[in-house]
Amino acid sequence: MNNKPKIGVYVCHCGMNIAKTVDVEAVAEFASHLPYVKVARNYSYMCSDPGQLLIKEDIKNEGLTRVVVASCSPRMHELTFRKTVAAAGLNPYYLEMANIREQCSWVHENREEATAKAKKLVYAAVAKVRLLEPLQEKEVEVEPSALIVGGGIAGIQAALDIAAAGFKVYMVEKTPSVGGKMSQLDKTFPTLDCSACILTPKMVDVASHPNIDLMTYSQVEDISGYVGNFDVKVRKKARYVDMNKCTGCGACAEACRLTGRIPSEFNEGLGKRAAIYLPFPQAVPAKYTIDPERCLMLTRGKCGKGPKCMEACAAGAINFEQQDEVVEFKVGTVIIATGYELFDASKKPEYGYSDYPNVITGLELERLVAASGPTGGNIVIGEGENATVPKEVAFISCVGSRDASVGNEYCSRVCCMYSAKLAHLVTEKLPDSNVRIYYMDVRAFGKGYEEFYDRVRREGVRYIRGNPSEIFKRGDKLVVKAEDTLMGKPLEDEVDMVVLATGLEPRKDAREIIDILKLSQSADGFYLEAHPKLAPVDTATDGVYLAGCAQGPKDIPDTVAQAKGAASSALILLSSGKVKVQAQISNINEATCRGCGYCVEICPYGAIDLVEVNRMGNMVQVARVNEALCKGCGACAAGCFSGSAQQRSFKDQQILPQIAVLGAMK
Amino acid sequence: MADLEKLITVAKETVSRDDVKYLIGWRQGTYGFRVSPHFITEPEEADKLIFSPLCSNNLATYLTLVEKLPVPRGQEADTRKIALMVKGCDSRAVVQQLVEQGIKRESVIILGCPCQGVVDLAKVEEKFPAGLEQVAARWDDGKIVFQFSDGEKAVPREEVLADKCLRCRYPNPVLADTLLWEEVEAGSSSDEYADVSELEAKTPEERWSFWEAQFSSCVRCYSCRNVCPMCYCEDCILDRLNPTWVNRSNNISENTAFHLSRAFHLAGRCIECGECERVCPVNIPIMTLNRKLTKEVREKFAYEPGTDPASKPLQASYRPNDQENFIL
Repeated sequence: MNNKPKIGVYVCHCGMNIAKTVDVEAVAEFASHLPYVKVARNYSYMCSDPGQLLIKEDIKNEGLTRVVVASCSPRMHELTFRKTVAAAGLNPYYLEMANIREQCSWVHENREEATAKAKKLVYAAVAKVRLLEPLQEKEVEVEPSALIVGGGIAGIQAALDIAAAGFKVYMVEKTPSVGGKMSQLDKTFPTLDCSACILTPKMVDVASHPNIDLMTYSQVEDISGYVGNFDVKVRKKARYVDMNKCTGCGACAEACRLTGRIPSEFNEGLGKRAAIYLPFPQAVPAKYTIDPERCLMLTRGKCGKGPKCMEACAAGAINFEQQDEVVEFKVGTVIIATGYELFDASKKPEYGYSDYPNVITGLELERLVAASGPTGGNIVIGEGENATVPKEVAFISCVGSRDASVGNEYCSRVCCMYSAKLAHLVTEKLPDSNVRIYYMDVRAFGKGYEEFYDRVRREGVRYIRGNPSEIFKRGDKLVVKAEDTLMGKPLEDEVDMVVLATGLEPRKDAREIIDILKLSQSADGFYLEAHPKLAPVDTATDGVYLAGCAQGPKDIPDTVAQAKGAASSALILLSSGKVKVQAQISNINEATCRGCGYCVEICPYGAIDLVEVNRMGNMVQVARVNEALCKGCGACAAGCFSGSAQQRSFKDQQILPQIAVLGAMK
Repeated sequence: MADLEKLITVAKETVSRDDVKYLIGWRQGTYGFRVSPHFITEPEEADKLIFSPLCSNNLATYLTLVEKLPVPRGQEADTRKIALMVKGCDSRAVVQQLVEQGIKRESVIILGCPCQGVVDLAKVEEKFPAGLEQVAARWDDGKIVFQFSDGEKAVPREEVLADKCLRCRYPNPVLADTLLWEEVEAGSSSDEYADVSELEAKTPEERWSFWEAQFSSCVRCYSCRNVCPMCYCEDCILDRLNPTWVNRSNNISENTAFHLSRAFHLAGRCIECGECERVCPVNIPIMTLNRKLTKEVREKFAYEPGTDPASKPLQASYRPNDQENFIL
């Protein structure tokens, strides 16, 4: 350095937060005598406009070249002061913060000792700040496209928004059709809109939108890269049906030898389908798929004298030779909208879901009341001639929610309302029936929800406060054993049908995405957002956003709102076209690197690669950092034997003088 | 049993290959019980190769010591293979170097020498005070036979073998392209780290006074680092001036810093060939330091370096069930 550094030290009172325990004036006075310190001041709120102005003025008038701010954690205000320093014309990384709040005043009571410690911290910062190097923030281009994982209502909404803004969208859906769980619903609370009527137009839009590349029956295999530049690999599973030829006529399914013998996933097992199937009549795309686990041709290699579906298909679309196809493409941003799974009611054996056919889940009842369902909308127990119409119907809420015994402490947020909706539909379809709902609390928090709850009660649905302990059979009736906690009376309630309002759970395959994208899970197992309040759709991985129930249980309005939020976050990235990357990142000295690859293994962001370089005619292997991927965590620097990996602003040469002064001070 | 004829035949074939730069083995030294590394480029030089209980040197060190000289313009770098004779312990060094990508598998030919243990020169010279006469040795059942000019003298192996050989669990190479002779029986050797436990049982003050005496005698010749097959950074932080991790002055503080840094850089990497301790001119029990870390690594992470070429280095691997109760 040609010129001696001129350091300004600014000690913050933080109101009384720091000044109460630390003698800030003494700290500033102490700092004014430290080497290279030109000015040392203290002020009530350094982060305020006048506080920042002090720094700016001093940089201009005193010619400061380095700035130390002794205040709160850098996590709080480092960015603020970097901007201050930059506004006065200095490199923003010529700033060092001494944390005398979280690491000093807040954790100590003795004023003398706290002041002594604050002095040490300031001295250490002064020792380091003169060794800081100017850093530049680089920008990388953003690939103008988005990947959306999951084709439920969250994914559909996000895809439509991003596509409408003019960007390319790749949507990957695991099952043969988009639509997700919402497509299985009959009506939606509290307005009783027909679910299919509001959803199917959006499904069709997704398939027909010129900006959306829809990949159903497909799975994301790998996502690598970084914000703005993700490389995606998707496996399109073999459908054994040529998508271009299939007209969706359904002749194949009628011809299939297994027609009506395979439980339909869409109808929650209540209806039956063939081995070649369309999940439901409104499926998008309206193309048939062969179930490779059921089809005789695919499981046994032979189907009678020949596959009947092939004979029946006039378009010649069926092709048993079809193979999985792996496609690769680049996107700038990723939205995870993988949804949820329903709680498995058989995990609560006391409710007899596995034992009694007339104990069903809410979603099963949903299929029974749906006009498109297996019974054509008739609520019946049993099949065919044995089918009976229930008269006494009981709902049990909070099955698998708010229940530590099954590991789900959270509220699933939709069960109260879907129980009310289904109770309404039962009373509407079976006017003679008596419906009661066993509940712990009724949570009707949304717009119009409380009103709907009132309406359902007025319609004669009885709410009984009590969590049933057991359901057992007596004659041809089911007995719900519970305690009416408001009356303080035990009761045994004989009913014909029990509907379990099962809660929402994270998907069992949630880990796949976590491993691919290095996301985190919250304690409940759903994907963790970056901040519960202020960054609810962001994740810790830049450029990756969350929408819908993948982040936590939600109803449809909230899901759609969050999907639009995620789309908006993605669009900020896509429309700006550029993204700034960290400046305080790792750098590897290739001249001393021994190419052992420890850092490559240690790096949690996959930001380091081994490359061959020519070292005076010899090809040697060295590690190199991808600057766009590096987050500056410093793990590589800690793991490096030869000290070749160093994190900018935290180099050994910059930290050791800090340690030296801390060790030297009494 | 070491088959010299086979060794020499294979060595001649190997160095005759166009893609082999040289072969590294052992030959009789110039005096006493000493053995020298033997670098051969021509087939006729192979006749001098030996394999005997005196072949202590871990030749794997030379794989990473190869100096990569600047290549003159118009010429190409010599990328021919190096052939190397390895004992069981030496082979673990090669494996660990492979795991750490210090060498490439295709650039080395490993000639495996199943080994019945090598001598500790200090123990031998105590029995037979060193003279200038060249002495050869061979294994014979449970004995080591020394061949003096005036006849042979047999000594039970326990009396002269190096400590590391007496507790050796890897007498046969864990990786070899050619196994020069039949594998030896691994025997029932076990390693309970008695030497380490003995020190662990002492109080911190007793331990420190032990090491203080040891480190005070260190002359900082860095032989232990230079001979180590795992110390191969071209630019060692212990040599560096900016930042100065270890000062050059010879005093207890800097000597301690040197020894602890060296040992920590070998945590999870030391393959216990014992070369550091063998070459120490002031007889510091360096292996005891290394073995403390080896013991910790084996107990805490069930990891043994240099045994599996497909493994990842200990510090570069993570398992969710890794112990962390020792983190303060």
